[in-house]
Amino acid sequence: MLQFKLVLLGDSSVGKSSIVHRFVKDSFDEFRESTIGAAFLSQTIKLENEPDVTIKFEIWDTAGQERYKSLAPMYYRNANAALVVYDVTQADSLAKARSWVEELKSKVSDKDLVICLVGNKVDLCEDGSEPKAVEKEDAESYAAEHGLLFHEVSAKSGSGVSAVFQQIGSKLYAQKKDSLAASSQQRNTVNVELQRPSTNDATSCCS
Amino acid sequence: MNKTSEGNRGREVGQQLRTENMENGKDAGLENEEDETFYDFQLFITQMKDPRAEPIVKYTRSFLHNFVTQKSLWSASEQVKLINDFKEFIYSKLALYEPFKGLDKAKFHNAKEGIEKLIMSKLYSRCFSPCLADESEALDASHARDLEEDKELADKALEYRFLLPNHLEVSDKFLPKIDAFAKMAGKELGRVNQYRAPRDKMVCILNACKVIFGFLKHSKLSNKGADAFIPMLIYAVLKSDVSCLESNLNYVERFRSPDSMRGESAYYLSSLQAAADFILHLNRESLSISDTEEFETLYAENKLQADQERARRDTHEGPGSEAEHYRRVRSPSPTRDIMGSVFSKVTEIFSPSPTPALPETDESVTAPATFVSPRNLSTAIANSTAAANSTSDNEAAATELARKMEQEENTRVFDSLQSMFPEMDQDLISDVCIAKKYRIGVCVDVLLTLSN
Repeated sequence: MLQFKLVLLGDSSVGKSSIVHRFVKDSFDEFRESTIGAAFLSQTIKLENEPDVTIKFEIWDTAGQERYKSLAPMYYRNANAALVVYDVTQADSLAKARSWVEELKSKVSDKDLVICLVGNKVDLCEDGSEPKAVEKEDAESYAAEHGLLFHEVSAKSGSGVSAVFQQIGSKLYAQKKDSLAASSQQRNTVNVELQRPSTNDATSCCS
Repeated sequence: MNKTSEGNRGREVGQQLRTENMENGKDAGLENEEDETFYDFQLFITQMKDPRAEPIVKYTRSFLHNFVTQKSLWSASEQVKLINDFKEFIYSKLALYEPFKGLDKAKFHNAKEGIEKLIMSKLYSRCFSPCLADESEALDASHARDLEEDKELADKALEYRFLLPNHLEVSDKFLPKIDAFAKMAGKELGRVNQYRAPRDKMVCILNACKVIFGFLKHSKLSNKGADAFIPMLIYAVLKSDVSCLESNLNYVERFRSPDSMRGESAYYLSSLQAAADFILHLNRESLSISDTEEFETLYAENKLQADQERARRDTHEGPGSEAEHYRRVRSPSPTRDIMGSVFSKVTEIFSPSPTPALPETDESVTAPATFVSPRNLSTAIANSTAAANSTSDNEAAATELARKMEQEENTRVFDSLQSMFPEMDQDLISDVCIAKKYRIGVCVDVLLTLSN
């Protein structure tokens, strides 16, 4: 099983914790671990495109209030992935998300850090209760420009949520596979256990 | 006494200690009670007494000896390197020698935990920064910084201890019980100073977080993630006046095995580091102040009071003074620590000669009994273990000790729950305690459910 640390960033009103709660709630119980509280959650998934690969996400929530922004580095150090969340009905929440992306880009030296930009609360626009303040195309092109993954989701309905984690998982797996292949050539030990049938060696999964 | 009954006694002690350990256990708050990580230090000590474990004992003894004799003060990073290297070495040796070699995965892990606890308890006085306060001239930068930050944090906490929940954006939707809970969480956190082993300190941190989550779970908030947790954690730290918090956090980070410092433990340790950091840098700009006048009045009132307290503290030796305070955190009482019985066993293993190879100084035993229960108890235990000469007497003393400690611990949990839920029937609280094995996180949760 591969384990990855994923940190959640975003303003306190964007519903970043709700996305994770939805993800955990909709995932299989058998892979759930009980935790002492809702600020740290751990959830294991199987990759849809690689059914014999299981990935465990350790999800680190951060306090979204502006005054606690300075604490974020203690949370994103050593993270493998970051979910940067904004609210599609609040234009300024995208601006804040962008500042998180910039901070991550400048402060995290790990170039393999997977950043996923996520627009939440699309349900509010779909049912007409709120106008859409951030157009999908705008956010998407920003994401593409900066090499981020991008998704629009509704934590409320669950729409799009599992795709976020599937895509992050796939990308992390692909990266790991590469580094694993590279290091197994050097006969180095890697701090990763691949749970695969014993007939396969660690490199044979590279297709 | 024959071997069999000795063995039985050993198991009994193990059983009793395990009950306590579980209360303190990492997973004590889990819904699934079967899921607990196996942890039994007493068992490890029994294994170490097995003649076949001699190589392990020898390696360990020699490492401990070299650590304290080769150089009187290693830098923090040297300490981490030495200790991690030794752990790696000795873990590989555990796999070669009985009685460890044949253990199943859980018990083997327990042995690794045992090694960590054993060596860190022995090296505590060289590794935990407040123990080194007297050697400030020779201290390396990291240890010296720990001590400075402890002081700065204590000063800041004193300066801002009057803060109201809304100053930190702690939701006002919280029950009126917020202060009681903050205090309780702070009390659990404060127990870090009663233990030497990194794992035990970590357990205190997790227990404090559990109390906060118990509280959050029953508040009518939509967001129960970090947005609610972090401010509440900061509030609890601010209100709790935990001594040497920075030193404790850095000690856990340095000396807890890296493979145990992941997942949940890593998250909550980081959160506490973040909370301490926030308080260290606290000023008016970091707060949400809607009523400036009220804030300034509170600030001035508190400052006056704090200055008076500080003046009193500086002029007096004795309870509350700085010297007294250091004496207390430097030497966790043996009861609270790895449990006195275990200490006598450890000493047995590691000092076959009448003079201990490593000084096991415990000032709390010889110090005047300034505060009542823990110290009196520890003195009583020290006397009883010292009086116990033969092994069987030792075993009996250990059993008795384990019973006493468990009882004391249970009383502590019951008392704090009772003060938290004064409106509740005592029998009910007691029933919940028994049903939930006196595990504070779970008990809080159940009682909150009942009281709502």
